Amino acid sequence: MAFNPHIVVIWATALATLGVYSVLYRENPVSRLCEHIFVGLSLGYLLAITWTENLLPKWWSPIVTDGQWYWIFAPVVGFLFYFIYSRRLSWLARLAMGLFIGTAAGQSFRGLYPLLWPQVTSSFKPLRATPSVAWPNVILHNWLFVIVLLTVLSYFFFSVRPETKPGRVLSRSGSLGRWFLMIAFGAMFGNTVMARLSLFIGRVQFLLHDWIGHYWHWLAQKMM
Amino acid sequence: MSETPSTGFWQRLEQIPRAYIYLLLAVVVIWQLVFPIRFEMSPSPSSKGVYDAIRAAPADKLIILSADWDASTEAETGPQTTAIMRAILSGKKKFAILNLVSPAGVKLADARAVAVAKEYNATRGLDWCNWGYKVGTSNVIIGLTKNIPGTVKSDSAGTPVGKIPMMAQVHDARDIGLVIEISGSAMTEYWIQFFQGVSGTPLANAITAVMAPGYYSYLDSKQLQGMLVGAKGAAELENLEGRPDRAMRIMDVQSWAHLLILLLVVVGNLGYLLSRRGNR
Repeated sequence: MAFNPHIVVIWATALATLGVYSVLYRENPVSRLCEHIFVGLSLGYLLAITWTENLLPKWWSPIVTDGQWYWIFAPVVGFLFYFIYSRRLSWLARLAMGLFIGTAAGQSFRGLYPLLWPQVTSSFKPLRATPSVAWPNVILHNWLFVIVLLTVLSYFFFSVRPETKPGRVLSRSGSLGRWFLMIAFGAMFGNTVMARLSLFIGRVQFLLHDWIGHYWHWLAQKMM
Repeated sequence: MSETPSTGFWQRLEQIPRAYIYLLLAVVVIWQLVFPIRFEMSPSPSSKGVYDAIRAAPADKLIILSADWDASTEAETGPQTTAIMRAILSGKKKFAILNLVSPAGVKLADARAVAVAKEYNATRGLDWCNWGYKVGTSNVIIGLTKNIPGTVKSDSAGTPVGKIPMMAQVHDARDIGLVIEISGSAMTEYWIQFFQGVSGTPLANAITAVMAPGYYSYLDSKQLQGMLVGAKGAAELENLEGRPDRAMRIMDVQSWAHLLILLLVVVGNLGYLLSRRGNR
């Protein structure tokens, strides 16, 4: 069998997978080693990628090849953040922070309307049957939707004293809303289990198909 | 402390060592990968929405695949990406891959595109291209609505956009027929806020199952045309395409693993209830 560099990658991946999963039995040096290798690789990769994908094309190349010399001042703004360590000059760090926070707040404010407004309008649903929507659908979907929406909202309404009459109504409605929230959290947890299992199955699929499977085919060819 | 024998047994059921549970799960997964027993699958409305959105996208417009994933979620997002690429190319449409979150994911999505393109005799630069990783998330998306060549500038290999034939007629959001966000992070909100909500371009997403519950409201409000939920969504799209592949195999295995987990939950709770009764 001729040497194939791809085999080295497959073996390294398989051993790392088994090494990481060995922690399921108990804490051990192999899983620790795999963790440290992973953290080191990630950090090294992050540093390299920050230069090649970010600083080189967005900052260095414009200065050196395109003659856009004014980009020299970009790191100056960035370095202002480090004045946070100086009691006397920390106001310089606040300048940089203000710039970034202002930009982020402006963008968030701009994005709020397209994100939330359609949600508000879609919560107004017909509560009576129409020629296109039959009663069972209206009761199952729209009524249930509105009840869940109002009870969950009432759970987060804290501006009325609980001992008053409206407060008692809100309290009961909020209890129901709490149950609906618990059901939603249960669904979320179920999805989390499903996601984690998919990742596990993906790894086992790799081990059986790409790692052991590779030699299985090779062995079958040898035996034929 | 005196215990009746039956109480001890139920208490032991409640406290099965986790190593045994993992081992049992591994045995079930390996058994089903080697000797699969197939479950019937019917596509959910959210997966059908993605399929219909791809079918409805005009052939003369580009589909953006924002493949914002890397190796950590590949078991779910990888098959999703492959299934989506197949659905696009089988409908004779064009796509561009973009990555706004994880530079490590660019090559992974690229490898899948190369493999799928081979199946459909699709050519890089004519039927699909890879814009690569772009820094700036929301600023990049805002830029794409107004000036795609100016924002993208070059593809992942450094080829200027002007030299990519399929990009000749792509100028701004009006030339985009559909955006599909594939990720395990909250990138869909960015696309809604700064692209779909501004330009009205249809948007769909393919996300990890953990993320799914938070996005059903966007389906209800029609901000999303469809949604692929984890490996299940990928399997459903493979099913709709009539091309069973890795995701469908994952789901067969997963169904058995879920049955085992349900059984263990029942056994654990039964043990808890009966041991409590025994203690009274």
